[in-house]
Amino acid sequence: MATVLERVKTVTGRVMGMAPDAIEPSHDFVADLGAESVQSVELVAMFEEEFGIEMDEDASLSVQTVGAAAEFITKVCKEQGVEV
Amino acid sequence: MGETKTKHPLVDRTEPELLESMFPYSLPPLICFDGPVVEDLDGRRVEVDPKALKKRDIHITDTTFRDGQQARPPYTTDQMVRIYELLSRIGGPNGVVRQTEFFLYTKNDRETLDRCRALGREFPECTGWIRAVRGDLRLVKEAGLKETGMLTSISDYHIFPKLKFNSRADCIESYCAVVAEALEAGIRPRCHLEDVTRADVDGAVLPFVERLMELSRGAPPELSVKIRLCDTMGFGVSYPGAALPRSVPKLVLKLNRQLGVPSEQLEWHGHNDFHKVHINGATAWLYGCDAVNTTLFGFGERTGNPPLEGAVFEYIALKGDLCGIDTTAITAAADYMRSIGLPIAENYPFVGRAFNTTRAGIHAGGMRQDERIYNIFDTAALLDRPPRVAITDKSGTDGVVVWVNEYLGLTGEDRVNKMKIHRLARWVMDEYEERHRTTAIGDQEMETRLKELCPELCAKYKGSGN
Repeated sequence: MATVLERVKTVTGRVMGMAPDAIEPSHDFVADLGAESVQSVELVAMFEEEFGIEMDEDASLSVQTVGAAAEFITKVCKEQGVEV
Repeated sequence: MGETKTKHPLVDRTEPELLESMFPYSLPPLICFDGPVVEDLDGRRVEVDPKALKKRDIHITDTTFRDGQQARPPYTTDQMVRIYELLSRIGGPNGVVRQTEFFLYTKNDRETLDRCRALGREFPECTGWIRAVRGDLRLVKEAGLKETGMLTSISDYHIFPKLKFNSRADCIESYCAVVAEALEAGIRPRCHLEDVTRADVDGAVLPFVERLMELSRGAPPELSVKIRLCDTMGFGVSYPGAALPRSVPKLVLKLNRQLGVPSEQLEWHGHNDFHKVHINGATAWLYGCDAVNTTLFGFGERTGNPPLEGAVFEYIALKGDLCGIDTTAITAAADYMRSIGLPIAENYPFVGRAFNTTRAGIHAGGMRQDERIYNIFDTAALLDRPPRVAITDKSGTDGVVVWVNEYLGLTGEDRVNKMKIHRLARWVMDEYEERHRTTAIGDQEMETRLKELCPELCAKYKGSGN
């Protein structure tokens, strides 16, 4: 089964039009991957769909890197009783 | 420079100071004064206490049916009666909108006056408007009005080239004869000093007003002649220190303080040729005129008159209280005016369709946090007009989510977040970036796309995804 990080990279690649393999945990969504405002919202919406969770808007949109997103999602999944 | 305070230590806070005593939000922002206002009058320092405005019986008069109609084809009688009702509703039971004036020349004019009076409203009181000629005064007598305005033009532009008098003295004698006749008939004259901001104040205006005050002394107090200062061409300026005859402060102070004309007998009437119409009216209030003459939405000859609704909000801001005014009737009046074909610009303050609509996403983002950030006051409560966002390329997801919540009528905890509307936000973005749209997206189009792209929201909150 794919890890949270791998699934985050897959979703990010789909939204940003990139190969998941080219995405590193240290990549900043805006500075490195070039996410614009609407893409940041799309990313969060797609993560919610992928993991079956709901995330706080302000908290989720303030996450900056791919690795931090994986950690944040893991925490939310735990809080919401979603196994990953 | 010796007295310049150079150190301004930061007053740090962890909670915001929102200055709510000045910006209460439930009312328009209040106009507060620190101390006296000073004007130089013939080399003498004259002080005005602006705090007295709270106690003075300042009020609004209306000329929508007179000056307002000079700017457009005539209203029908039914339309004027409806507008009169709305004026009455706006001004409320305390008569903040105190009077409105009518032409008396045609059968329709007189029928309209009769129908408005038949409504039995105490305010606004119906008064007349005539030229200062005996034949016109007869119309006032026949109509049974207690007060009439009469055109007593006072600049030499009017006295000589227009009215063809041989001298100022002849002109003033002619006016005074009609004033005296009105007083004898028990009609209160209100002399409209046309073009006063282009007149010889010391040489013609003051002597004429002195004569009028003399005539008043021989009449019952309730008939004392009123003076309307008419800035016919919009030449008036509000700056302290400005020179006569253009100075609004000095014109008012000359009559009020030098001649002793009581404030309740002074009225200001302005025009907007230099975009100064509202502030000149408010300035006249401040310096001693109790009445400011206005029209609904500023419609009036050429560039118009002081907008009544602007004066209403100025009044509330000065008084710090609604004083019985029904501000929501301003919106009803605007809707009615639009329904009978009067154009009101989209960005026109208080009533334009977009007066409290923000287009910038960054503003919409602020509105999501707290609508007070980008709304002038509680426009939903005071005008039945909640703040809105319009969707353009500048709206961003913040603008789109505000629009959606507003459309679905969601407030507080029920409001949806940006993630729920991301498809709609993407569509908006693509309209401009991919399809190079150059127009705003209207409500109807947004509604259609919301149903198509976020059907679950429509199903949940509107009962149908279609």
